[in-house]
Amino acid sequence: MSGSANVGVHVDHARDEDPAKMAEFEAKINAGELLEPDDWMPQAYRQGMLKMAEHHANSEIIGALPEGEWITRAPSLRRKLALTAKVQDEVGHGQMLYRVSQDLGKSRDQMLRDLITGRTKYHNVFNYPAPTWGDIAMIQWLIDGAAIMNQKTLADGAYGPYVRTMKRINMEEAFHFKSGEDMVLTLMSGTKMQRQMGQEAFDRWWYPALMFFGPPDKPHAEQLPPMRWRMKTVTNDNLRRRFINRFAPAAIDLGLKIHVVKKDDNGMVIERKPDENLRLDETTGNWSFTQPDWDEFYRVIRGNGPCNAKRLALRRFSYEQGRWVRHAILRGNAGLPPAA
Amino acid sequence: MSNVREQSHPSNGDLTSPAEGDLKPYVVFTQLNRGDPHMYAGCVDAADQQMALQFAREHYGQDQKCVNIWVVPKEAVTATNYDTDLIWRHTDQTYRLARGYSKPVKDKWRKLRRAEDLKEYEKDDLKETF
Amino acid sequence: MITLPDNLKRPFADLLLAVADDKLMLGHRNSDWTGLAPILEEDIAFSSLAQDEMAHAQALYQLIAGLIGTSADALAFGRKSEAFRCAAIVEAPDEFDWATAICRQFFCDHFDRLRLRRLARSSDKPVADLANRLAAEEQIHVEHVDSWMQRLGRGTDESRQRMQKALDRLAAIAPSLFEPIEHEHELVAADVYPRAETDMFETWRNELEQIANDSSLKLDLHPPSPQTIGGRRGKHTEHLPPLLDEMCEVYRLEPNAAW
Repeated sequence: MSGSANVGVHVDHARDEDPAKMAEFEAKINAGELLEPDDWMPQAYRQGMLKMAEHHANSEIIGALPEGEWITRAPSLRRKLALTAKVQDEVGHGQMLYRVSQDLGKSRDQMLRDLITGRTKYHNVFNYPAPTWGDIAMIQWLIDGAAIMNQKTLADGAYGPYVRTMKRINMEEAFHFKSGEDMVLTLMSGTKMQRQMGQEAFDRWWYPALMFFGPPDKPHAEQLPPMRWRMKTVTNDNLRRRFINRFAPAAIDLGLKIHVVKKDDNGMVIERKPDENLRLDETTGNWSFTQPDWDEFYRVIRGNGPCNAKRLALRRFSYEQGRWVRHAILRGNAGLPPAA
Repeated sequence: MSNVREQSHPSNGDLTSPAEGDLKPYVVFTQLNRGDPHMYAGCVDAADQQMALQFAREHYGQDQKCVNIWVVPKEAVTATNYDTDLIWRHTDQTYRLARGYSKPVKDKWRKLRRAEDLKEYEKDDLKETF
Repeated sequence: MITLPDNLKRPFADLLLAVADDKLMLGHRNSDWTGLAPILEEDIAFSSLAQDEMAHAQALYQLIAGLIGTSADALAFGRKSEAFRCAAIVEAPDEFDWATAICRQFFCDHFDRLRLRRLARSSDKPVADLANRLAAEEQIHVEHVDSWMQRLGRGTDESRQRMQKALDRLAAIAPSLFEPIEHEHELVAADVYPRAETDMFETWRNELEQIANDSSLKLDLHPPSPQTIGGRRGKHTEHLPPLLDEMCEVYRLEPNAAW
């Protein structure tokens, strides 16, 4: 599914760069050309791309965890196969994005270690719990749906290796999203208990999905380096609007109610009421809605979300548990015997 | 094993083990049908070529039907530089391309032959190179 | 092609269930590694193998469902523990120990390749055709797991010790794979499950010993006692019921619902 780097890619203005090279670089970007790793680029761009690709890679492999919990509990053979393949894809996306980052100069091992020890971040959305099968359906519909919207725009970016990886990832996301739609449709046209499971999961995931695109835009977002240099191509608020316009009416047609919710520390809904701001503005074609709780958003980013500790603990467990295996093939006499 | 997934205890602070370093990168090329060219698919990190091939088969060989895979150590790839290595020449190259001749040839034929005869004759041209 | 006599239908279903149940449990255990394996590339590869096992189980359940009149999902999720025909080794948890996961796969993949090759000669054509296709995929698994045995057996002192420990522990229950199902001899006599060309246990032991030797590992395997009654007759280890409780948790919420 993937995060992507809407959260906090701060790129410093490149003050000490050669102005002639800078002009050439920006001209290439404006002409819509793709940049390749060996091309000249300002240090700030290289660092910014590394940070963005690394954050995205981290998000993929952490994103494999909440859904991974449900592989062993998927309720049919087809769903079991599909969910395994889906989580496997996340790992594959992580692998490809770490590769993009490795080519920008940081070792994968160091990136994994920085992730586990909290030096680098991953997407906020994976710090929420998935307590039922309904959550798996909603994650694949809403969060993968949001990821596709975002990644489609990232595929219009300027950094060649990242853009090519996005295009490849998006092909696989299409499967994730379709299978998510299939699960949500099955659930919402199922028994009373299933529909209730779907509604409760929707209540847990609607706001994380809206927050998925990152905090409200800074003034003049288009002129700041991430967009000026086409590291991203559409602002957070514009992506969020596209998302609502597509998903709010679809949710209503599925029989889902869109609620403003209050959650406890474990991410479970303790209060809900219909979103009274939700309506379609016929003249603009845009839906209005109640904004997410941005205080919660920053609280979770700072590490105090319902599942931050659990996700990192499991990644650390996996890293430490696998150390002897990597050690054996990196340092040991681990070659295969000569062919007979 | 959901118990392990649920119960790994949060532990903070630095890792006690030293940094490990990475395996070696290999470039992967996949062929989708016999006879097609092998195309760049991506990279895998592995200890050696056999392991790289094993990984590539499952990573890049399962997205669509695939019949053959190459892996090449990344360090074995030497490339030109976009900025400094000119490959395609700046001077007029149309003298070595079919499309450099299509219009003058057509004009000259038209003076000699009827349109329908010319059309019949042009049917056997390799049009995609124009 | 022959039509299966009525008295062989149940034993034949049991035999195919043994194959499918082994694969489902193994695939179930291995799929849990997705996202947590020691190297990202191997995570992807191992997950593919797990998907193969589950896809094989699904294809077999579909055949069995046709034979006894039910559905593949009902066979996978709707049976009680004693109705399963899987062997003790596939029930063994690995607690995310890579050595255990690889050794478990090692015993099972080599066995499955032999069993599928045997079924590929069955007088029942649909089963023979399916087994033939599955055996070709099993070959990929055997090569994959053998290379891990060799790399880790010959890796470091630590990796060799860990592999040896896991190998020893699982070698005690691995021969459970060979326990016959009820009335197996009748299926053999009717050529539905043709006799192996060479003694299957010996062939298996020789294959495994050779790889173990190449891997600087010791392997000691003994044929199962003919008196043992285990998974093939529905008598399972203590690990199966909790596995099923987890696997069927959602299905059991509303067994007649579509999910």
